[in-house]
Amino acid sequence: MNVVRLFIERRELVLNLISRELKSRYKGSMLGFLWSILTPLFMAFIYVFFLRLLAGRGVPTEEIIIGVFAWQFTAMCVNGGMSSITGNANLVKKVFFPRVVLPASVTFAYLVNFLLSLIVQFAIITVLMRLDGSMFSPYVIALPAVILYHTLFNLSLAMLLASANVYFRDTQHLVGVLLSAWFFASPVMYNLSFVERAAAKWPLLANLYMLNPMALIITAYRSMILRDVSFPWTVYSACALLFPLVLLVIGYKTFQRAQRNFSDML
Amino acid sequence: MTNAIEAKNLGKRYLMKGLGPQTLFATMTNALRRKKKEYFWALRDVSFAVPKGKTVGVIGPNGSGKSSLLGLVAKTITPSAGTVRTEGRISSLLELGAGFHPDLTGRENVFLNAAILGIPHEDIRRRFDHIVDFAGLHEFIDMPVKHYSSGMYVRLGFAVAVEMNPDILLVDEVLAVGDIAFQLKCLDRIRDFQKKGKTLLFVSHALQTVEEFCDDVFLVHHGRMVANGEPPDVILQYIRSYMGEGGYLYTQEFGTRDAEILEVVMKNEKEEETGSFESNRPLHVDIRYRAKKRLKKPVFGFSIKTGNGYYVFGSNTQIEHCPIDAIEGEGVMRLTLNPLTLMQGNFFLSLSIHSWDHAEQYHRREDWYPFVVKNTTEAEGVFHLDSSWKLKKDG
Repeated sequence: MNVVRLFIERRELVLNLISRELKSRYKGSMLGFLWSILTPLFMAFIYVFFLRLLAGRGVPTEEIIIGVFAWQFTAMCVNGGMSSITGNANLVKKVFFPRVVLPASVTFAYLVNFLLSLIVQFAIITVLMRLDGSMFSPYVIALPAVILYHTLFNLSLAMLLASANVYFRDTQHLVGVLLSAWFFASPVMYNLSFVERAAAKWPLLANLYMLNPMALIITAYRSMILRDVSFPWTVYSACALLFPLVLLVIGYKTFQRAQRNFSDML
Repeated sequence: MTNAIEAKNLGKRYLMKGLGPQTLFATMTNALRRKKKEYFWALRDVSFAVPKGKTVGVIGPNGSGKSSLLGLVAKTITPSAGTVRTEGRISSLLELGAGFHPDLTGRENVFLNAAILGIPHEDIRRRFDHIVDFAGLHEFIDMPVKHYSSGMYVRLGFAVAVEMNPDILLVDEVLAVGDIAFQLKCLDRIRDFQKKGKTLLFVSHALQTVEEFCDDVFLVHHGRMVANGEPPDVILQYIRSYMGEGGYLYTQEFGTRDAEILEVVMKNEKEEETGSFESNRPLHVDIRYRAKKRLKKPVFGFSIKTGNGYYVFGSNTQIEHCPIDAIEGEGVMRLTLNPLTLMQGNFFLSLSIHSWDHAEQYHRREDWYPFVVKNTTEAEGVFHLDSSWKLKKDG
């Protein structure tokens, strides 16, 4: 609870860092903020197109759009959070302030980004649904809970990777590779029905698959928005839901321990 | 009176191998080899207390641990040993412009930097014009700071940092940047802080400034606190013992050596050898020389500069109408300044022997002899001017 109080006390700092992150990200580009919507949209388009072309069978476009936007949020937090300490070396070495606000404000900045892109995402999905004649799921009101959960998960990753990157500069290269592996291991451009077919052959593998928090988060988004997707409640998925919360505690503790030596290592 | 800063057995060590194991591979191979880690103590076993409202200077050669000491007090560095305790809000002028983002404008950066330093947004909005005025950046405030000159950058940083109104102010050689006018403004701000009873910890190579501002001086060398006391004595010890090490002391020696300065002894009125003098008392300099051959009409000269290199006074036996017929062999020449009209500070004495027509420099030692002067009067300043007051009746 100390952490919460800290963020309330230093809210001006956090808000300023968030706006710095957002402003500096799009300074000098003509389309500015639009890029944060255009990028996932282009990606969604590419996935839909090539998946139809290669696999011959489609995943509903709505699901891909939801998947790509959610994935984009996590990927940005991973990359931005990782360099949140190393990229601010000058600041960390010279000024005393709670270090944890750096990865946190990066995560929150991308949350703002994500929320704004969500509006566009909803507009597109509404249009697509009109064409299909389907409707929003009534659970859509629970969406903020999923977003909060997703944000906390991203925050724990940002804290872990931020401290890891200070100690080992290999982290950034390793993360680049792992991130693309993780992308294919998460149902971004496909959905759980693809996994279910494999589950018939290898049940253990399918259960392990469900331990991937991104599989749950993306599926949760889909089941909250779309009527014909339901969340797969199993023992594994219930356990996996707790996993990010544990990670949050571990991430915070690790970060606090690591920060003692930040100014020596930078 | 309580202490604003208290340090006990404070120490900071770093890995000898520079950055330490920065890659995963290096860490793993080191773990396998079980190599003994070598450490380097940047600061060791330092204990001190700074009472509230005092200004303390920290001096020492480059790499002696001054900045580590300030970093430890500012809490940007975690101590490896010992503790440091501070009371009240700390602001350090170590970080001028550290939080600036190059792509943002000066205006945006002012608010960002203030937030990092923990100054309430409302305060900054109220004082915004004042800050811009102080930095002298009216026309440029809406320009991205990446186009700023380094001086503009620091000025804006300083203007924001002093707005914080801290209880303890840490200053690390930042006053060396900026032009003279801005430096004077900065020093004024520092005097303001002193008047308000704030505590200052001050790292500087400008010994004259340290002498002028500080109540106490710490001398740090090789990570240890070597001396701690009144500014004149500690500064003199520093100049004599360590200043040459960092190549800082700008001394020169040249000449044909037909006549040589062998030994110089500075004495006070009681004929005691010393380097520390009181104002308005005599100062004697005994110059033992040796002339290799008979030199006709030689001239002995001296000059005095302040620690900042400001030329205070210079004269010689020719100007003073004290001609010398000739010198040969060894002898002693006495120079007396009576009364010593320097008030306070650290000074450098230069001595020379040259020919009557200045054509030949026999021996000259430039800035060779440091000494300090302590103020015993109530007047202030560097130099004593004879002054008197008289009230004239109206009309």
